[in-house]
Amino acid sequence: MKITSSRISQLIFLAIFFVLFINTEYRGKDEISAAVNSFFRANPLVAISYLLSTKTMTLLILPGILMFVFSLLLGRFFCGWICPLGTIIDLFTNRIKKILPLKFLKTTFKYYLLFTLLFAALFNINMAGVLDPIAILVRALTFFFYPLFGHSVKLGWTGLYSLMGDNRDHIDFMYAFLRDYILPFRDTLYPLAFISFLLFALIILLERYEERNWCKNLCPLGTLLGLLSRFSLFRRLPKKLCADCRECKNICPTAFDEDILQKQDCILCMDCTLKCKFNRVKFSSVFKGRRTKEKTPVVLGRRVFLGSLLSGFFLAKSFAFQSPREQERLLRPPGAQKEGEFLKKCVRCGECIKVCLRNALYPDLFKSGFYGMFTPVFIPRLGYCEYNCNLCGQVCPTGAIPNQPIEEKKKSVMGVAVFDKNLCLPYAKKINCIVCEEHCPVPGKAIKFELSEERDYTGKKVTLKRPYIADELCTGCGICENKCPLEGKSAVEVFAKVKKSKHGAQ
Amino acid sequence: MDRRDFLKLGLSSIFFAGLPKIIFAQGTSTLSVSEGKDYAAITRNAINALGGIQKFVKKGDVVVIKPNLGWDRKPEYAATTNPFVLKAIAEECIKAGAKKVKVFDNPCNDPRRCYENSGTNGALKGLKDVELKQMEDERYKNVRINGVALKEWELYDEALSANVFINVPIAKHHSLTRLTLALKNMMGIMGGNRGYIHRNMEDSLSDINKVVKSHLVVIDATRILLNHGPQGGSLNDVKVVNKVIASTDIVAADAYATTLFGLNPQDIAATVTAYKRGLGEMNLSKIKVIKA
Repeated sequence: MKITSSRISQLIFLAIFFVLFINTEYRGKDEISAAVNSFFRANPLVAISYLLSTKTMTLLILPGILMFVFSLLLGRFFCGWICPLGTIIDLFTNRIKKILPLKFLKTTFKYYLLFTLLFAALFNINMAGVLDPIAILVRALTFFFYPLFGHSVKLGWTGLYSLMGDNRDHIDFMYAFLRDYILPFRDTLYPLAFISFLLFALIILLERYEERNWCKNLCPLGTLLGLLSRFSLFRRLPKKLCADCRECKNICPTAFDEDILQKQDCILCMDCTLKCKFNRVKFSSVFKGRRTKEKTPVVLGRRVFLGSLLSGFFLAKSFAFQSPREQERLLRPPGAQKEGEFLKKCVRCGECIKVCLRNALYPDLFKSGFYGMFTPVFIPRLGYCEYNCNLCGQVCPTGAIPNQPIEEKKKSVMGVAVFDKNLCLPYAKKINCIVCEEHCPVPGKAIKFELSEERDYTGKKVTLKRPYIADELCTGCGICENKCPLEGKSAVEVFAKVKKSKHGAQ
Repeated sequence: MDRRDFLKLGLSSIFFAGLPKIIFAQGTSTLSVSEGKDYAAITRNAINALGGIQKFVKKGDVVVIKPNLGWDRKPEYAATTNPFVLKAIAEECIKAGAKKVKVFDNPCNDPRRCYENSGTNGALKGLKDVELKQMEDERYKNVRINGVALKEWELYDEALSANVFINVPIAKHHSLTRLTLALKNMMGIMGGNRGYIHRNMEDSLSDINKVVKSHLVVIDATRILLNHGPQGGSLNDVKVVNKVIASTDIVAADAYATTLFGLNPQDIAATVTAYKRGLGEMNLSKIKVIKA
C-alpha cells in the first residue's frame, strides 16, 4: 500500500473504529460516550431504511442524513476514505491472487439487492443491517474475533497461573491493563459467531475475483452512495482511459471495468491522479469547463424497480410467520416495547450485545421469525439484566432500545417471571431455598414468600418459605432465572407478555 | 511441593493457628464496640480495644480483607461494607507492616459495578500495597471440607494462603437466614453454584468457617439494613446505628450484632449451629464486651 491522503484517512478511521469498538464496554462509569456508535449514526443506509420502515424522523439518524447530503455533493468518498470494512479489504487484497471477475455480479444485481432491502423496509421489515458493511464488521468482531481474542489471552494468563502460582502477581499489572482497557470482561460464546464470521470471510474471499469486489458489486451501502455520487459536483477528467496509456485500469480499484469511468463506482481514492505519468488526471467541478452530456446507464429501470418491489414485498410478507411457542420466550432488551416497532428500528449491529454487562443479550436466529436474524434477544438463564444499568439503550444507534434514564429503565418491563412448582425446591422437595428472592433487585421485592408449616418427606416439621411473584412489581430482569441454583432447568422463568392478535401470532 | 501438598499445608497452618484460640478462649470471648460518626475513627477504636492490629498482623504478612461487596448499591443503602471502615482497616494493616493487603469479594451483581458503586474502588485507590482484586476463576481450588453439609467445595486460593484473614461484613437483613453477618460473609470466598448451600445454610456456613478461620472479625454496623435484604435498595429499610464491632470470636461478633436488630442470638440458626459446633461463644453473658 502506498501512503496517500486517502490511505492515511482510512487508517485513522480504522483506528477510530477499533477504539470505539473496544470502548463499547462498561469502564467504571454509568455513562458511555455517545460516540461509540458513530459509524452507525452516520450511516446513510441505516438512516434511509429507518425512515422507510418507521415513516418517522428522529434526531438520532441526523448524521446519517448529513452523510447522505455530503455524498450527494462530493461523491462516494465514504468508501475510499472512511469505511473500515473497505480498509480491511484493502489491507488484504494485495495478498490475494486474482482470477477472472465473477460475471453474474456484473449485472444490476447490486441494485436489486439494495432496492429489495429498501422496499422490504417500506413494508415494515428493516433488514438492511444484515448486509450493512459496518454491521457485518461489528458483528464479526463482537461475536467471533473479540471473544476469541479475549479467550486466548485469558487462557495464556490462566496457564501462567498453573505454572507460576502466586508469583504471577508480579506481572499482574500488565494483565490488569489489558483486562481494564482492551479485553472483554467476560468470555462469552455467541450462537451466531460462525455465521457472522462466515459473512465477513466471504467478503474477503471475494477479493480472489477482483479488487474491492464486495464494495463495487454487492455492498448495499456502497450502492446507495454510488447512486448519490452520480449527482456529485466533482468529476474526474479524463472520463475515459487514454488511448496511449490505459494504466488507470490497473490502478483504479473500483471504477474502470470498462474504458469509461463509472462515476457511481469511483471511491475517490485519488490514486489515479497521483500515479498518472502524464499528469493528465484531475478532479474538477462539474461547472468548470465544457459540459458534455454524460451517458450514465439507467439503473432504476422498470425491471429493477418492479423486480425489487416484488422481492421486497415477498421478503417482508412471506416469512412473517412466527411460532407462538417461540414468542413466549422472545424477550427483548429493556424499553423495547412493541415487537413490530423494534424490528423496524433495529439495525442488528450488535452494539447492545457487545455492551451488555452480564451477557444477557444474544443474537437471534429464528426466534422472532426469519427476519429476526441477528436482532438481540434476552436469554435469562445465560445472563440477567443488571438493575442499575442502561448501557444497551445508550449505545443503540437508532433508539430501537430507547435510551431511558436509569430510574425509568428500572421500571421498564421485559417480561414476567413464573415459578414452576414442579421444580421449585420449597414446593417440589419441601426444602428451603429462596435464592431468587435474595437476588430480586426491586426495592420492595417482586419475589415475595409465604410461610407454610409442613412436614417434610422424612416427617420432620419444617417452616417453608414458599416464593411467589408479585406480578405488578416484576420487570422480568431475569436475575431469578439466572441465579436459580437448580442445575439445568431453572424453576423460575421469565416469559414475554405477548398481546395476542386475533390470528394468534404477531 | 505440588499444589495439593501446598494446599494441605496452607489449610493445616490456618487450622493450627486458630486452634489454640479455640482452646484457650473458651468462656472468655472478648468483643469491642465503638460508636461515633467518624467511621474510620470508630473502626480504629474497636480494633485498638482488642489490643491493636499488630496483635494480628505481623511484619511481612499477606492480609486478606473480605468485605461484603455483593451488590451494586451505593453505601447509603447498607447493602455493602462501608468504604471508610474498609479503608481504616487496610491502613492499619499497612501500618503494622503488612507486605500486601488484598481486598476482594465474589459479588452477586456485576463485580466491576459492585466495586465501583459501593465506594470501595474510590476509597482504596492510591493506598500503597493495598489491592482491590477481581476474583479469577483459575484461583478457586477444590478443597476437602468433610463437613456436615459440604464434603468439598471450591474455595478461593488467595483467601486460603493469606497469613491473616480479616472478615468485614455489614450487618443486614436476609430472608432465609434472617440476618447476614460474619459467618455468612464467608460465602464470598466460595466458587461454584453457591445458591446450592441455601438448601442447608446453617451447616454449610459452619463447615466453611471451620475450614477457613477469620483471625479478626470487624462488623460494619454503621448503617444496617432492616428489611428486604440482602440488597435492599430503599432508604426506608436502612437504620443509622454508627457502630463498629470487632472480635476474634466470629460467633460472639455475630451474636452481639444480632441485638442491634432487636433479635436474640438464638433467633439466628446459623449462629446457633456455629456455637454448637464449637466455633465460638453465643451467650452474651459469657462475652466480655469492651465499649471503645
